[in-house]
Amino acid sequence: MISLKNLGKRYGDRLAVDDLTLELKPGTVTGFLGPNGAGKSTTMRLILGLDRPTSGTALIGGLPYHRIGNPLRTVGALLDARAVHPGRSGRAHLTALARSNGIPQRRVGEVLETVGMAAAARKRAGTLSLGMSQRLGIAAALLGDPAVLMFDEPVNGLDPDGVRWVRGLMRSLAAEGRTVFVSSHLMSEMQLTADHLVVIGKGRLIMDAPLADVLAGSSLTAVLVRSPHAGDLADRLRAAGIRVDRLGENEIEATGASIERVGDLAHEAGIRLHELRTREASLEQAYQELTSGSVEYGANA
Amino acid sequence: MRALGRTIGSEWAKLWSVRSTWWCLACALVLNVLASVTLGGAAATEAMRAGAAGTRVVASSPVVSASSFVQFALVALAMLAITSEYTSGGIRVTLQATPVRGMVLAAKALAVGPVMFAAGVLTGAVATAAVHLVLSVDAFGGFVVLPFGEVLSDLVGMGVFYALVSVMTVGVGAAARSAAGTLTVVFMLLMGVPLMVLMTGSPALVEASLRMPMFAGLAFMGSADNLTGGPMPYSAGEGLAWLLAWAAVAVAAGHVVLRRRDA
Ligand SMILES: Nc1ncnc2c1ncn2[C@@H]1O[C@H](COP(=O)(O)OP(=O)(O)OP(=O)(O)O)[C@@H](O)[C@H]1O
Ligand SMILES: [Mg+2]
Repeated sequence: MISLKNLGKRYGDRLAVDDLTLELKPGTVTGFLGPNGAGKSTTMRLILGLDRPTSGTALIGGLPYHRIGNPLRTVGALLDARAVHPGRSGRAHLTALARSNGIPQRRVGEVLETVGMAAAARKRAGTLSLGMSQRLGIAAALLGDPAVLMFDEPVNGLDPDGVRWVRGLMRSLAAEGRTVFVSSHLMSEMQLTADHLVVIGKGRLIMDAPLADVLAGSSLTAVLVRSPHAGDLADRLRAAGIRVDRLGENEIEATGASIERVGDLAHEAGIRLHELRTREASLEQAYQELTSGSVEYGANA
Repeated sequence: MRALGRTIGSEWAKLWSVRSTWWCLACALVLNVLASVTLGGAAATEAMRAGAAGTRVVASSPVVSASSFVQFALVALAMLAITSEYTSGGIRVTLQATPVRGMVLAAKALAVGPVMFAAGVLTGAVATAAVHLVLSVDAFGGFVVLPFGEVLSDLVGMGVFYALVSVMTVGVGAAARSAAGTLTVVFMLLMGVPLMVLMTGSPALVEASLRMPMFAGLAFMGSADNLTGGPMPYSAGEGLAWLLAWAAVAVAAGHVVLRRRDA
């Protein structure tokens, strides 16, 4: 539904987005990850036609954003929750947006209800807490009942209930067949929310793969084996080119091979096993490995 | 056309959902009454001193002169319609809803313009009534008159003047983006530059500066008594043409910036 082709954006002498080619599919939540300054927000602005790309194209359903008629009915996006006139009420903000795209007025009440803001709808936006602003921003994204949704760090400022609610919302939007593109720095949350991951660093694509593949590909994903003949098994596995670490007398850890392969090799060698299981890396660990080379704004330990 | 209508509706809703709009209109009303009555008093006193037979003060005439001050309250309103979007970052939301940038600018101008027209006519009518009321007091010599045709044409003229100055301000706002920048540019165009030029006294420069928006407006409204000390040396029609030209140039400049720059 969203397709980026060789997308690039330069600000002065700084390449914020560098030759990004991507396809985002309907029915999935695609998590958008990358260190601070990696170019996530810029990519989203390029997709929305807010910034002009220096090179390449960003198409939504085959059209550049400005060619979509009544775009809020096709694409809903939350970029910056605070980007509302501080003196305008949430309801008035949504009403003005609805009018601009011919969205029926009743949708305003509906989305306010959905995000749990009905009671605060008449408060001026400048008086809302960050979490409430975030909810208003999500309401605005949902307003046109769009097939494509983009959220830039939507859980920023939300309480634990709110975080869980957003997770459920993203999942259900994707389950309805929509394209959901969401950036976040909360890896544990992403691991629970996303089906697919796009990781960028310094504007360049690092990874574009299903969540399961990213986790499986991490060197920290390992097969744990307990066996009375752990030493023999370790030799066999090493001979087959698998990295093995000895954890204890009877316990070893094999990385870079599937659980099936390790089990088969043990069987061929006639080695008895008392335990065979995988220990999956967390997304946090996998992410750190992927981006260790492209963190620009890291603090010195 | 349909899309433009919707965008205007959206801008209209935005305009009336913030307090600053109401504040600016209230300011314009108060300022208009106070300035007009003051200028009217001065005109009546002058008429008494001259004492010539047939001297009269049209009640709406000091209101026209007061436009040089009242315009700034309305400029503030027009300015906020666009610069507040840059202050809050709301422009990105606006452009998500209406990605054709010229349409956003057109919709803002078309929402603000008519409001300014109405504000000019209505606050002008109140100020005219106030001038008439005050100058009817015996102490002012009873020179004040309320000829329907003249008053009506003054009121409509002011409405048009305020509408066009506001459209110009929207254009400058789109080009400058910040409130401070917009206010500076609009103030210099309306008052700063022409007054500086008047002080230099160079005839060619003065002649040119009389074509700047405020004086063009005074010419268009047929003002006889204003900061230059007399009627404009050209016709009302030419005044309107200059006013339209200034508004058009400002909107064109705003459009170029809005289209070219990242939001
Ligand atoms: N309008 C702009 N002008 C100049 N440079 C910009 C502009 N917007 C972004 N940049 C630069 O582009 C790079 C990418 O910024 P971007 O905001 O897209 O990163 P991000 O991945 O969203 O980061 P974060 O996780 O901190 O939100 C940064 O180096 C930033 O300084
Ligand atoms: Mg960002």
